[in-house]
Amino acid sequence: METRRPTTTACEFVAPFLDDLIDDGLDQAARQQLDTHLAGCESCRRLADDLREIRRQSSALPPHAPRPEVWTRIAKQLAAEAPIRPRTFWTGTRVVLAMAAVMLLSVVTSFVILRGPQPATQSADAGRTSPSVHASAATTVKDVDEHLRVADANYQQAISGLEKIVAADQAVLDPAVAATLQKNIGIIDQAIRESRDAIASQPTSQLAQTSLFDALRQKVAVLEDTIALINVMRKGDQAGAAKIIGGLRKS
Amino acid sequence: MISSNKTEADHTERDLVARCRRGEMVAFEELYRRHSGRLYNVVYRMTGSAADAEDLLQDVFLQVYRRIDSYRGEAALGTWLYRLAVNTCLDHLRSRQGHQRKVTDFIEDIEGLEPVASPSWRPDRALDRMDLEWAIAKLPPSYRSAFVLHDVEGHEHHEVAEMLGIAEGTSKSLLHKARIRLRAFLRGERTEGDRRPSAAALGTPATSRLGEQ
Repeated sequence: METRRPTTTACEFVAPFLDDLIDDGLDQAARQQLDTHLAGCESCRRLADDLREIRRQSSALPPHAPRPEVWTRIAKQLAAEAPIRPRTFWTGTRVVLAMAAVMLLSVVTSFVILRGPQPATQSADAGRTSPSVHASAATTVKDVDEHLRVADANYQQAISGLEKIVAADQAVLDPAVAATLQKNIGIIDQAIRESRDAIASQPTSQLAQTSLFDALRQKVAVLEDTIALINVMRKGDQAGAAKIIGGLRKS
Repeated sequence: MISSNKTEADHTERDLVARCRRGEMVAFEELYRRHSGRLYNVVYRMTGSAADAEDLLQDVFLQVYRRIDSYRGEAALGTWLYRLAVNTCLDHLRSRQGHQRKVTDFIEDIEGLEPVASPSWRPDRALDRMDLEWAIAKLPPSYRSAFVLHDVEGHEHHEVAEMLGIAEGTSKSLLHKARIRLRAFLRGERTEGDRRPSAAALGTPATSRLGEQ
């Protein structure tokens, strides 16, 4: 079946203006002329309705997003191409922390000022406050790095525990399913390695950190699903197994 | 107020570009964070494959890093980035020269569904999103680029024209042809171009690699 084409001279004249009509690009007079034609021409009216619906649905298509590891691959590639340029320390998270430290310092200072002159011993104490706040700012920056390190270690510990359980019981899995799971874990491990490389060359990169923790979360999720699958397979619950396998394929 | 915000945004963007030129990775990461989402959507719909789209997005941003000195600021940074992304996609599609294969890849990419052999959309039925995605992927690349930028991403014709390095009238013409072709695909109709894609549809010299700044 061929595309339905305008059948009259008027239809041929109108066709190029349908897009303007749909995109609200016509002045009132032109719009009225077009509406008059559409009122009497079913073919053109259907065409206009269809194009309008295509436009409407297209603008409502859901957005897609790249996985975080795309950035880590870019960072890795750039790091391999050129020597790492000196990077600014006071960036990203550290700027926020520094600002927080400055605010804390301001509050303490204001408090000292509002309290007014104090006995010598207390002034001396207040004077000692400043260096300690500076020290705490540096400490806070270290704290964040430490928190990240601890979180990473916790993930590693969880993954290690889950891997031991899977290794002990995976014999109950169908070999094809086990191979697919292994392949998925291999891909995640690659993402983890790339994220760590990116962090090594760009320690302040929030995207690289996001990518690392995203990959670690994925690995935990896959291992948890694997253990759930092992459990239902032992019980002979085929429906439960199919459901979990379906979920694995979507992840 | 809007003008003031725009000026501020322009200033921030210029500052970001300047920092990228100095090789500050933190600035480049910020640039990626700001623009990668929208560029990915365009690249994804141009290629029809999540895996290809990620590879091409990576390629686009590597080009951005290497070529940031050639950005002269005549167009908005976003426009320059879109142009780079679309040209990268067109190069990729031409190198593959497997339009039909891309359609198949795309359909397999969407939640593992089998390709829809022939949708038969009728006015009394709602337009199925999956059918629409399939039909967009089936468009010739030059039609698809104008359609995605205008109807999906919501850019105006003058912006699309600037992004693609073509005249505004050409953008309107490409969009019109794209919509008509989509309607035919969705209604299960065959068009002349469907049977025998013309050189123009696959990318004429004017649009096969769209103008660069």
